[in-house]
Formats: sequence, structure tokens, C-alpha cells
Amino acid sequence: MKLLEYEAKEILKDAGVPVPKGILIRAGDDAGAGAAQIGELVVVKAQIDVGGRGKAGGILMADSATVQEVADRLLGSRIKDVPVHAVLVEERISIEHEYYLSISIDRSSGSPLILFTSSGGVEIEEVARTNPDAIRRAVIHPLLTDVPGYTIRYLLDGAPRELGPVINKLYHVFRSRDALLAEINPLVTTPSGVYAADGKIIIDDNALARQGISENRDLTDRERKAEEFGFSFVELDGSIGVIGNGAGLTMATVDLITVLGGKPANFLDVGGGADRVRVAHAVQLLGSMPGVSVIIVNLLGGITRCDEVAAGIIDAGVSQQVIVRLAGTNEEQGREMLNKHGYRMLDTMEEAVSAAVEVA
Amino acid sequence: MIYADKNTRVIVQGATGNQGSFHIGRMNQYAQSVGGCGVVAGVTPGKGGQESAGVPVYNSVQEAVDAHDVSASVMFVPGVAAGDSIMEAADAGLELVVAITEHIPVHDVMKACSYAAMRDCTVIGPNCPGLLCPGEISMGIMPSHLYTRGPVGVISRSGTLTYEVVHELTRAGIGQSSVVGIGGDPVIGQTFADVLEQFSEDSQTKAVVLLGELGGNLEEEGARMADLPVVVFIAGTTAPPEKRMGHAGAIVSGGEGDANSKIKRLKSLGIPVASRLSEIPGLIKEMV
Repeated sequence: MKLLEYEAKEILKDAGVPVPKGILIRAGDDAGAGAAQIGELVVVKAQIDVGGRGKAGGILMADSATVQEVADRLLGSRIKDVPVHAVLVEERISIEHEYYLSISIDRSSGSPLILFTSSGGVEIEEVARTNPDAIRRAVIHPLLTDVPGYTIRYLLDGAPRELGPVINKLYHVFRSRDALLAEINPLVTTPSGVYAADGKIIIDDNALARQGISENRDLTDRERKAEEFGFSFVELDGSIGVIGNGAGLTMATVDLITVLGGKPANFLDVGGGADRVRVAHAVQLLGSMPGVSVIIVNLLGGITRCDEVAAGIIDAGVSQQVIVRLAGTNEEQGREMLNKHGYRMLDTMEEAVSAAVEVA
Repeated sequence: MIYADKNTRVIVQGATGNQGSFHIGRMNQYAQSVGGCGVVAGVTPGKGGQESAGVPVYNSVQEAVDAHDVSASVMFVPGVAAGDSIMEAADAGLELVVAITEHIPVHDVMKACSYAAMRDCTVIGPNCPGLLCPGEISMGIMPSHLYTRGPVGVISRSGTLTYEVVHELTRAGIGQSSVVGIGGDPVIGQTFADVLEQFSEDSQTKAVVLLGELGGNLEEEGARMADLPVVVFIAGTTAPPEKRMGHAGAIVSGGEGDANSKIKRLKSLGIPVASRLSEIPGLIKEMV
């Protein structure tokens, strides 16, 4: 789950990384007095999970006299169609130089990866494309609790030494917060010291509970409902509803629809051992999606029993046509039940997907 | 065969849960049908002295090792405890851990896998269906009735996708040497490259199917160094960016791991990539 800027900055501050003085203002707050305390010159930043919010008008300059009015204006607006519920009012700092620092997971080595560059303030992908040699990379052994001094010296490569402690503090944040990404961009030097001018932290969804986070905000309402049932669900924008078991097979089903010229409406993995009730929920969830004209169920039973799946499909009783491909445990019973109720059964995944594409 | 064979003596960690006891039964049914050793003991802290699916249960891996001279483990413990369990198995001297568990925090996986590596313990998974060498051994949850013995190795990030392809191969008369699910998490023990290295030393394997998906670039790393002929399939060509497609590792982030660009790079290396699953048996037939 992605944290918002102010949440990331609170974590950085707790870890000892200096952040600009700031105050969070929510819609309806009487902001003026508090915000004016921050400083004569301030920045007002929309707290939304949207890339490029600055260019889209989500970051505005203000002073102590105008801060209330500017904050109110942002709070009533939508940036890239996302409503702004809170803004961060921060002191304006005088930046001397901008750096980029991030820690993520290097899949090849299965280890934390630190990236640092003196060309900060822009997208790291941009630097990687135009000036890859400017990025210093260091893989840290996962059992190390601190970044070694020689690694920090290597990463800094002549950048001010006062940035060194920030690298280690961010590494502690990365580890202790179960982060997939901990990023400071830009990390800035100013006449009064080093600051994290912006911060981004993504928490591992598998560790939300032990991080004390009860709800994953990144999900849409329908995705959240699907999660309650234990499904993996992603909304796409086509007309063919897809239910599969196992992430890979479900993805391959979605892909095959596209290869054969159709448009998938979603990705829904019911998970292993799905029973009658879960299957019924899944079919009904897709049946309730506007724009879904046909549903394909592609299940390969191992632990999953085909007769349970068939019962679930029949229970769901949705108005759209449901095309089914079932293979595995108790396949015959499942087929018999569906045949009796007039459902269309096909033998292979490819036949089932072709049929769904034709109907849609 | 690779990693394990008939003579491998196995324990199950998380032996008394629903999953654990059910799959001890299935694995031992398979062991019996091929004359193998199978699962000889289980481990569940606090449940020592009980039985699960006919095997004795111990409180710790060390106790089970002391009593049964085992060398490998299949793990079904819950996500938050799984990192710990991998390290416990490595500390007790096991050579191989097959971690079926999903939803393990990735920081735990990083620590546990690097710890196991220091103890010379090989980790397959986590979040995987395990390992099946037809005629030899089943370690995990794969539906064994779909499998037949033959010359083709299969390596996959996804369970059901593996079964689908094995089913297709078997129907086309192409048997498998070993089938290894390496798991759908962002950090895994054995990678495509690691398993390919094992296959290249296995005299029975003549060609390998790599079943990959969006996210990361482990498929390319593996295919690049393969000594054997390989056919690749990559799932997730229609996945939108920044969305997790079921697996924790199946996500395009920071522009890395997009399935279509992955396919393009593999093809530019001269590696055959199937655009549909149904093409795989045909492509493999040309190679074996």
C-alpha cells in the first residue's frame, strides 16, 4: 500500500531524517492560524496518490496571508480526477542541490537495493535513460542491520558527507516498516542543512497487519469487496468477465481473450480450493459489473472440486451467459450438473475463450 | 530427476493443519505408488507426540531430524511464521525446503533465503506448488494424475498454469522429467536460472518449458544462460501497470517487468516464446 507524502514524512521524521516544518490540513479544518505559523513563505501540497501532481496543479505557492485561501481552493478541487481531502502546508526551503535516494528490492539477488544520484528532483527512470552512469547502486545483504560505511562512501561519490546518515536512516525505515520502496526525491541540501523535500513509502501488502494498518486504501470498492471474499481481483475495462483459479492461469485466460480479439472486463482469481459459496460470490460479483455481457469460468481443479464449482455457478443465477471450462477432481459430476441446467461447457481453455469472444 | 528422488526422506512443517495433513496423505499416496520414502514425520510446535495422516509429529525440526534422518521439508506454516520456519529447517541441517506458504512478508523471505543459503540449504518457493518428478517423488500440492515420465522439464511461477501445461504436454504424448514451481513472490529461493542449471546436469532432460509472468526479469536471466533448448510463455500481457495480478510478484513497477517488453527481449535473443499455451506442445515437439 502506498503511503501519502505526509505519512511518509512522519515516518522519516521519527527515524531522524529532517523534513521541512509542516502541518496537515483536512477539508473543513480552520487552517489559517496554524498554517501561518509555518513560515512567511509556504508550499501547499495536495495529499493524493497521483504521479505528476505538481504539473497538474496539486502543488501551489502561498504566503502567510494567502495560505488559508490557497488551501481551501485545493481542498475543494480534483487533481487528475482525484478529490483532494487533505493538504500539507510546508515551509519553503531554499534548495542548494537536489539528490535522489531510494531503497527497493532487487529481485535478482533477493536483497535490498540502494540507488543514489546527484541528479535528483526528476524521475529516476529519466536519469536512467539519459545518464545511467550517474546512478550509483549498492545491493545490501538482507541480514545486515546497517549500511556499511564503505558502501555509503561509494554511493555518495563526492556528494556532501552529511547525506551519509540519511542513507542509513532510510535503510532502517525500509527494514522496520516492511517497505517495498522507501524513496526520498528530492533529498536536498540547504543553507540550514539536509532535508527530505518529498518522500514515498510503499508497504508490503503481506505485512500490513503487523504494521498496524487495517485497511488497504489502494483498492477500489469492488476490489475491497473481492478481497473480503478472499479473491484476487483487478478491474479492466472490457465486456468479458473472467473467473479462474490460480494467478497464472487466470492471467493467461485474460491474455488469451485479448489475443483472440475480445476485451476482458477483469482478472478474478478465486484461489485454491474454492467451494460452492465462494464461486457463487465470484460469479455474482462479475454479474453486477456494468458492461459485462458474458462470463467465462476457467477452472482447473486440483484441490478445487468441479461439482462444488458447478453448484456455485448455478446458485449465482446471473442474467449473463456463463461459459464454463472445468477440468480435474469430480469433473464428471460437475459437467452433469451444469448440462442439466443448460450451461455451455467446453473442453479446453481455448475453445471456451473463443466461445466467450464470439458471444461478446 | 533434480533436487529429490525416491530415496529422499521428507518432513512436513505445519503438519497438523488442514493443508498439512491433507497433503501428507496425498504425497505419501504418491510415494507408495512409486515405491518411494515420502513423508516420514511432521512438525508443529506444541503438537509433538500427535500423529498427522499416519506420521508422527514433533515440536521442532531438530527433534524430527534426530528421530528420522530426513534431508528435506515441505512447508505449510502460515505466512507470518514461515520465514522463521525456513531458518529453523536450515539450522537443523536440512538440504532442501519447499515452501508452499503464500503471503509471507517479503522482508522475511529475503532474510530467510539468505540465511538458508549460508547454511547450504536450498529453498524452493515460497508461494509455490512444489516439485514433482514423475515416477520418483511429489513434494508439494501438484495434482500427480496429470503427470507422465518423459524428457521435458517445466519451471513455473504459477501453480495452475503449470498444471494446465503439464496436462497439455501429457495429452500430446510428451512426458516430464521434473516439474518445479518456483513461486509467484518478488523474492524466491530458486530462480529460473538456478533450476535450469539443475536441468542442464540432468541427463534425462532434453528441453525445458519456462512459464513466466509479468514482473522482474528472472525469465530473461534464466533463458539467457540456458544450455538446453527452452520454450517460454509469459502471462500478463494485458495487465495494467501498478496493479498486482494475484501474485505478489506479478506487478509492473517503475516501468520494470512489463510482459510485452519481456517477450520482445526474449525473442530478440532468439528464444521461442509461445503466444498461447496451446502452442507449447508443438514447439517442444520440435526440440525433443
